[in-house]
Amino acid sequence: MAEHLIVVAAVLIFLGILLGVLRLVLGRTIVDRVIAVDMLTVVSISLIAIYAHVADRLIYLDVALVYGVLSFLAVLAVARYLERGL
Amino acid sequence: MLELMVFLLCGSIIVSGLLAIHLGSTMAAIVSAGLAGLFAALCYLLLAAPDVAMTEASIGSGLSTLIFLYALRRTAGAET
Repeated sequence: MAEHLIVVAAVLIFLGILLGVLRLVLGRTIVDRVIAVDMLTVVSISLIAIYAHVADRLIYLDVALVYGVLSFLAVLAVARYLERGL
Repeated sequence: MLELMVFLLCGSIIVSGLLAIHLGSTMAAIVSAGLAGLFAALCYLLLAAPDVAMTEASIGSGLSTLIFLYALRRTAGAET
């Protein structure tokens, strides 16, 4: 049962990555592209977490942790730049 | 399965690089460069190098975007 759930989650994650890249390519404004990159970051954090379970190595969760802490910084900087300059 | 995921991620890195070249504005190029760093970190992780992935995620995707934005602000007028 759990194996099937992990396969379904992996398929959904790759679908999410596909849709995010599609939005990044097609994006009309720069805000669309920044939001797409933010969504891709969140999706890839969940991909790292699932791979840590599949490969049975808990050290990979540290990578997801560091990525989650640091990844919002870039989006925050871009948002602040778009609003009124860095 | 693992090889397929690595190939998909390598293709995504190439697509991000092409986007950074071909998109019109400088801001979109900066965002695409950050995306290439993201996919590279995932690729390193799948190839069993978590420390390299951590460094790439923090520096390549986070810090380099900040530095690019700072440089873009300091060279004002070149922005489209």
